[in-house]
Amino acid sequence: MSSDAAVTPAVQVIDVVKLFDGGIVRALDGVSLEVAHREFVAVTGPSGCGKSTLLHLIAALDHPTSGRIVVNGRDLREAGNERYRRREVGLVFQLHHLLTHLSAIENVEIAMFSNGMSYRQQRERSRELLVAVGLEGKGHTAPPRLSGGERQRLALARALANRPALILADEPTGSLDSASVDRVLDLFRSIREQQGVTILLITHDAYVAGAADRIVRMRDGRIVSPDAGPADDAVPPRPAR
Amino acid sequence: MPFAVLIARNVWTRKVRSVLTGAAVAIGIMTVVALGVLTHSLRRTAISVLRTGSADFTVAQKGVSDVLNSAMDEGEIARIQQTPGVDSVVGVLVAAVQLDKDHPFFLELGIQPDQLEKFGVTVVDGRPYNADATDQVMLGFRAARDLHKSVGDTINIDGNDFRVVGIFSTGQVFGDSASMLPLTALQTYERKPGDVTLAFVKVKPGADVSIVRQAVERDNAELATVVTESEFGRIDRNLKLISAANVGISILALAIGAIGVMNTTAMSVFERTREFGVLRAVGWTRARVIGLVMGEAALISLGGAVAGIAMGFVAIRLIRSVPELVGVFQPDYPAAVFGRALGIAVGMAAIGALYPAIRAAVLAPLEALRHE
Repeated sequence: MSSDAAVTPAVQVIDVVKLFDGGIVRALDGVSLEVAHREFVAVTGPSGCGKSTLLHLIAALDHPTSGRIVVNGRDLREAGNERYRRREVGLVFQLHHLLTHLSAIENVEIAMFSNGMSYRQQRERSRELLVAVGLEGKGHTAPPRLSGGERQRLALARALANRPALILADEPTGSLDSASVDRVLDLFRSIREQQGVTILLITHDAYVAGAADRIVRMRDGRIVSPDAGPADDAVPPRPAR
Repeated sequence: MPFAVLIARNVWTRKVRSVLTGAAVAIGIMTVVALGVLTHSLRRTAISVLRTGSADFTVAQKGVSDVLNSAMDEGEIARIQQTPGVDSVVGVLVAAVQLDKDHPFFLELGIQPDQLEKFGVTVVDGRPYNADATDQVMLGFRAARDLHKSVGDTINIDGNDFRVVGIFSTGQVFGDSASMLPLTALQTYERKPGDVTLAFVKVKPGADVSIVRQAVERDNAELATVVTESEFGRIDRNLKLISAANVGISILALAIGAIGVMNTTAMSVFERTREFGVLRAVGWTRARVIGLVMGEAALISLGGAVAGIAMGFVAIRLIRSVPELVGVFQPDYPAAVFGRALGIAVGMAAIGALYPAIRAAVLAPLEALRHE
């Protein structure tokens, strides 16, 4: 990492407003947020508070009505969205959005088209990622034959395919059992440690949020607490599922 | 994973739909191939009549339903002979008879014996017939071999017995499979006194063939000159109509196939909205999404084309057995027909899949991901 990278935040959200339905719905209302490189941040809040909207804007899946978003020093308004999503960011969704007619390893590979790697290199990289997320030996298994936790880990492997600097995860543990939640969270932490990625995770689950370095709380389209303190202090006991 | 493999996987995943769409394409391509081969072969058979002799160009009556119905009188032949640049004109009466069930389209060429040499005929055995003979015939060497006849034998043509006095060669397959007899005798048998069907024209050395042709057509408004196969429609209206029908049916096949491909592709894109959202979310470009959809349609169409070409061969075999076409329809399989079939298959894919592909590419990733 360069010295510039060390001082420039990985993500800067600057006074972002997002309106829907012709301005009737104010999903984000002047949100500003900074996330440092290698930081693991959880954004939490009640349903409809705007946290997923914020993530979609940072992922360049949507555009802010006003305000700016800068990722790794580059304003997303000037960045090519497709290249940005392919090269710089990895997305993990609650419903994992895997392609059910492809095998696990092929689901990882579809993220690597146009990244300049040969087919052999893509396959090798995909194998490495499956091992990294604990899915060794399941490369040729179709997603419907994987458990919920395995699918989410596969989705994480796909998100990591192009070595992004930023991982954006939208309720990645929302449909998992307790054991799977812990395994996925361990994975996020180890990826951050080993690969130095920045992680922004959306969750309404305080236990999941507790795994992060910092918790950002949102309500009614605003950030009400940009730093809820060390997460470890706030981690409630995991409720049994 | 190679992109082509992903395309194949996607097509294979929806086997039934892919096969049904491919079958629709195949039927269209089969029609194109069968009609293309039929038209080409009939044209080749018909044009061969014009190529029985050696000439710079052939003259016939313009716009007749069948080239064998062309009729020119001696006055027109004389006028052609007087056209500047014309070296020689050989008038030939052409008739077709059914010799037997194996030879339903046997040609008789009526020509004066003193014009045989100008016509490019070489007598390879025996001698030429006499000008006023009514029972003498020469056989092309291929016809003689096929009919097991030689000089001195008798052959019955259309109820009349003829003595084979000579065997000839023209250097043309069609001519060498025909018979020749005195012009006046054939005019009598055909009840066409003084008429010929075709005039074979040679120009003087150094003369420009195209200028001589223009002069002949200018001086004889009812006549048309022909050199190439593509010009044959000017004199044979039936073949022109068949060719037009062939083009029309090809366009229809293209349209029907394209609609089938469009229907299938549009349905597939709609059902896979979330999949396209995922692909766009992981950074796929719009061009790559279009390439995926178009590639799938192309694969289905090409698969249908291969099946259609195979079905076309079967259809041609069935058409050959139609009694009216036995002997007349000798299938010829030009590369152009298959090239056109493949072109139409690609056209079906391109026209049919373009709109659904663009629809898939312009989907907003977020909305696509939310699609139920």
